[in-house]
Amino acid sequence: METIKEIIARILSIEEAEIKDQTARDKTESWDSFNHLLLVSEIEKEFNIKFTIKEVEETKTFKELESLVNSKKR
Amino acid sequence: MEEITSGVEAKRIGDYFNLDKEIENAKNKGGLPVGKKLKIAILSSFTARGVKEVLNVECCRAGITSDFYVCEYNQYAQDIFNPDSVLCSFNPDLVIFFIDTMSLLGEIFFSPYQMLDEDRRIFIKEKKNEIKTFIEALSKKTSAKIIFHNFEVPIYSPLGILENKQDFGFQEMVEQLNFDLREEFKASGRVFIFDYNSFCSKIGKNRIVDPKMYYLADIKLGLEHLPDLCLSYLSYIKPMVSLGRKCLVLDLDNTLWGGIIGEDGLEGIKLGPTPEGRPFLEFQKYILSLFNKGVILAINSKNNPEDVSEVFRRHPYMILKEEHFAAMQINWDDKIANMKIIAKQIDIGLDSLVFIDDSEINREMVKRAIPQILVINLPDDSSLYVKTLMAVDDFDTLQITEEDKQRGKIYASQRKRQEIRKNTTDLAEYLRSLDTLITFEKAKNLTISRISQLTQKTNQFNLTTRRYFEEDIKKFSESDNYLIVSLKVEDKYGDNGITGVAIVEKSSEIWRVDTFLLSCRIIGREVEKALLAFIIKNAKKEEVKKLRGEFISTSKNAPAKNFYRNNGFKSVTKDGFMEIWEVDIKNIDYSYPDFLNIKEL
Repeated sequence: METIKEIIARILSIEEAEIKDQTARDKTESWDSFNHLLLVSEIEKEFNIKFTIKEVEETKTFKELESLVNSKKR
Repeated sequence: MEEITSGVEAKRIGDYFNLDKEIENAKNKGGLPVGKKLKIAILSSFTARGVKEVLNVECCRAGITSDFYVCEYNQYAQDIFNPDSVLCSFNPDLVIFFIDTMSLLGEIFFSPYQMLDEDRRIFIKEKKNEIKTFIEALSKKTSAKIIFHNFEVPIYSPLGILENKQDFGFQEMVEQLNFDLREEFKASGRVFIFDYNSFCSKIGKNRIVDPKMYYLADIKLGLEHLPDLCLSYLSYIKPMVSLGRKCLVLDLDNTLWGGIIGEDGLEGIKLGPTPEGRPFLEFQKYILSLFNKGVILAINSKNNPEDVSEVFRRHPYMILKEEHFAAMQINWDDKIANMKIIAKQIDIGLDSLVFIDDSEINREMVKRAIPQILVINLPDDSSLYVKTLMAVDDFDTLQITEEDKQRGKIYASQRKRQEIRKNTTDLAEYLRSLDTLITFEKAKNLTISRISQLTQKTNQFNLTTRRYFEEDIKKFSESDNYLIVSLKVEDKYGDNGITGVAIVEKSSEIWRVDTFLLSCRIIGREVEKALLAFIIKNAKKEEVKKLRGEFISTSKNAPAKNFYRNNGFKSVTKDGFMEIWEVDIKNIDYSYPDFLNIKEL
């Protein structure tokens, strides 16, 4: 199974090591709104979870994304 | 270019975007080999982001280098009508034109019944003319072929279950437009209406888009479905750049039939109207339909030619005949050498061949040695063979030849015969019109497994529901004390195969009907009377006095309950679930129903 970091790195074309808790959408060039949707759709598929439209909108950083996924996995 | 896409099985949508970037980089460096080239313009009424990226990758995989022009969100009208537009100077070879139903209907989507029926009709007529104007302008300004999406028919209606009680309903509007578009461009060699509505149905209209993606980004088709969509476009693109293929090369064992003819023998291979045989039977039927539309067939197989020739000549369910094959390489040489001989014999390029073989080793070998050949990944499960071959679009062509048209006429007359059948109301007349032929055959090696299977599976028209294994049937058939007969039902619409069985225990005075059954497929056609007539006829011949029938009641065999009563038998005893009936053979005059044609083997 791919980790969240691996998925982000692949889709945003960045190194996994670059991804920190505070890595944020508005500070990362390749994390544009379209890639954000790509990320969401791949994460949903990989972990067999669903985000609400509000969660997609409000998730701004790696840390937030990770804890959201973890809360849904349970 | 193939290095970029080879080896990467892009299943995740994100991979397509990365591959697309790599392809564009290679293009800019001039590093792409010269293959087929195509300029594709994509016009859409919504954010079609992803279509270009995925199509670029899929084209690349098919050996096509494509340049793209993607129209701005909902700017297609300006692009088409402005003579100085980028679209016109791009001069595409292919235009993909995708307007979605929501954009088409606008406010009407939620409140169609605020309009009068007549106004809805006018609206649809105007929309059709508008689309026609767009397409005609495109045709004049470019030399492109045009793929126009038809419209997804909504599964929702503000009227719910009353939707189809309207004079001109909401869903009907979209259906009407689809119908009109199809009619309008039927004869065109340049404009192709892509049946997007069917495409949506195939995926499931409830699943084509995640609603949040639609609200967040105006995505009308889920990103994960883009590969499927683009592969549908490829069905048009491949023949456009002459990447279509002409010849289907087939393996035999476990491909055209189940099992290995050299080991299992003529009677052992699986082919025919049984659960294990039917996938192969239908696979052959589908291959024959490809032949009938002009696909050339060939065989490349490791077998003894004599064995194969016996299957062709003697197997009752071999749909494909020797005369259908343009080349047959049946020998123990390697398949690669055989492939080259086949191409030479038929006089076509290796890149015109499609190869089907159940063995992965053979497939890999051919793939590696002759990469021009399209090798189909046949799944292990034979029940998926037909579906797999149906998904191969490489035999599609963009034009219809005169010959094809002739064939169309033949199908049309077949359709007329079926209409007559629908219109027949009188039962006897209907049964007579079927031209049914019943073939009786005493059990022999080729039919034993089917007979056993019918005893195992038949529940409804089964008088005793006794289950027998193949070995049991074999034992009966070798004994002089049993008559085992199977019947095959054919009519002018096709062959139902072996669908009835009787097992009769014989003695000099009295014959006992141990098993008497018909498959549910042929119930209601008085075939049971013919089977009884066959038994009585044989009993008379051997001067037997009485015929005894048994009926064992089960929860499922009510349809057979009154069979003996209705056919002149008298009740002898009733013991629990078992009833015994008898009839005097001498006195009974029992013959075949006159509307059935009878053959005895």
